[in-house]
Amino acid sequence: MHCKKVFIAIVYVVFALVYTTPLLALDGNEMLRRVDKNMQPEAYEMYRKLINIEPDGSKKEFVLYTVKKGQDKMVALFLSPASEKGRSTLRLGDNMWLYIPNVGKPLRITSLQSVVGGVFNNSDILRLDYSVEYNVEQVSDRGDIYLFDLKAKTSSVAYDRLKMQVDKETLLPTTIECYAISGMLIKTLRYTKIKDFGNGIVRPSMLETDSPLYKGYRSVMIFAKVNKKELADEVFSLNYLSKVDELR
Amino acid sequence: MSDCLAPLISCRYSTLYLVPLLFCLLIISPSFLYADEEFSFDLDEFEKKPLEWGGYAELKWEHMDINQGSAFARLNLFEDSISTLDRFTGGLQIDGHYAKGIISFNWLFNASAQQDDLGWSDMADIYEAYVSIKPAPVFTAGVGKKMYRWGKGYAWNPVGFVNRAKDPNNPEESLEGYITAEIDLIKSFSGPLRTAAFTTVILPVWRDVNEDFGELDNVNLAAKLYFLYRDTDIDLTWYTGNSRSTRYGLDFSGNLASNFEIHGELAYVPSQKSVILQDDGSSLIRKTEAFSYLVGLRYLSENDITSIIEYYHNDAGYTEEEMARFFQLVEDGESRFLASGSDVLLERARDMSQKGYAKPQPGRNYLYARFIQKEPFDILYFSPGLTTIVNLEDNSYSISPEIVYTGFTNWELRLRFSYLNGGIFTEYGEKMNSNKLELRVRSFF
Repeated sequence: MHCKKVFIAIVYVVFALVYTTPLLALDGNEMLRRVDKNMQPEAYEMYRKLINIEPDGSKKEFVLYTVKKGQDKMVALFLSPASEKGRSTLRLGDNMWLYIPNVGKPLRITSLQSVVGGVFNNSDILRLDYSVEYNVEQVSDRGDIYLFDLKAKTSSVAYDRLKMQVDKETLLPTTIECYAISGMLIKTLRYTKIKDFGNGIVRPSMLETDSPLYKGYRSVMIFAKVNKKELADEVFSLNYLSKVDELR
Repeated sequence: MSDCLAPLISCRYSTLYLVPLLFCLLIISPSFLYADEEFSFDLDEFEKKPLEWGGYAELKWEHMDINQGSAFARLNLFEDSISTLDRFTGGLQIDGHYAKGIISFNWLFNASAQQDDLGWSDMADIYEAYVSIKPAPVFTAGVGKKMYRWGKGYAWNPVGFVNRAKDPNNPEESLEGYITAEIDLIKSFSGPLRTAAFTTVILPVWRDVNEDFGELDNVNLAAKLYFLYRDTDIDLTWYTGNSRSTRYGLDFSGNLASNFEIHGELAYVPSQKSVILQDDGSSLIRKTEAFSYLVGLRYLSENDITSIIEYYHNDAGYTEEEMARFFQLVEDGESRFLASGSDVLLERARDMSQKGYAKPQPGRNYLYARFIQKEPFDILYFSPGLTTIVNLEDNSYSISPEIVYTGFTNWELRLRFSYLNGGIFTEYGEKMNSNKLELRVRSFF
């Protein structure tokens, strides 16, 4: 009789764990894929504004039109300011190119450089899904959040390690600390202002960043009009870079 | 020096100090940008419109110290014995497109006017004006005037068979295109070969149509086959036609690391024609089998310095001896003119200079290096840089430090100083100027 009670108690506990905290039953990488899925659809277009804020409060703004397909294909076109208009950047996996209309041909660029200045670099602007570039080493339960320790899959990834805080309820990232291979903190990203973009896309509409390397400087990214969109693979090619505006 | 020029010269020297001073004041003055912590994003102003256009207006001031006694000073300034030259240039470039459905019309206009100590000159040109039709992302066809930039090199492109030759001192500037008809096909794949693209260009050369490309009354064909294979860009280029001799090219570009890119080009011309000056002052057309190549790298260091280094071998270029023969002709021409008043040899030298000896980097072996420090001392949008071009045969060179500031939205300020050095009968030792200070202000709209 005593054994039966113990058995029933164990069954209750197991059921309670399975149904109240189902994500803990998943492995970390699967959880990260869910975070990615919540952040953006498989193929989409969106508009973003990047704002670089200097210590004296002055600002410089850039507006980009972006399309993405699959896990590693992405293009961003500058719509503003006039000095940058028509520039476009393409990412195919680890490859990145910059097309400048005057130059007339795409140049290979690196993920750590920044085509806009400020704290955001190219890999922030052409960010792939986190699960494409990182493996989850550990997930810790910290009350309202999960803390993910992520390690880059290859040396070509811009940041060697990420410490990502994910909201338990929404499974959306809130704060991400980016570390170099030396262990130095390069920058901190903060996602805020969750917004319903329609078609089931509910995600942060603002990303702020600061860096100990740029003391006093901040950069902000505002997301708007995130729409699912069917796109041909050929859109993500060097020959198409001069024609990206025609997708709008 | 005539008295009437005195106010001009006085003004010139005051401008010499005033313009850089104003530039420095602009850089160090507090930013006039609007500061507000509220972030707004009004998408309406970025709605796509059928007609879109933009461009820039530019003002440029240049001050040159003339290398008196050099071959090109003798040729270009023979009737104007001046030791310095100041030049003011105003420029305007307008680009745009009108799109309706699958058809779009694109254009690029460029105009400039300059006043210097020698006089006034101006130009206005249509750099690009073409119609393209794109029924699907895999297929685009176009006709009109279009600029081509084939090749992976930053300063030179030996495989750019339909490119206009660019200025390695300003390789990112727009250039005039050629009138062509073009078809562009793209196909993406999964697997090691990710993209393949094929571009075919028909380039006619008739009277008033692409006249400067080569021999008249020919229709030429050029093609480029592009692959993205295992993270490496590869192009095969080809040109055939009677305006120029047939040529074949190969180029590549790839990243060895996230901060380290390498690229290269190889061009083969079975029968390359060059106009060569003979010992007796006559010229002949030399036909040779030419292999030209370029290897280069782009490296981003931990302290944010981007280095671009390229080595270029031009098999069709002039040897040190051939260049010296040309410089000797200029010297002989001046001597004869001073002795007898005859300018026959000088005219001969001018003719040869236009046929190849005066083009940028006419020699055989060059080293190009450019270093750009991004935003040092936490000064955003401020980029100092240094560019050098070395003629490896005669060891003459140019070296150009510069600073660029882009912190004011839609403005770009560039201050550059170029120093040229080399011995007698060397490329940079015989240039018209020994140095140049240049201030360029661009306003984009």
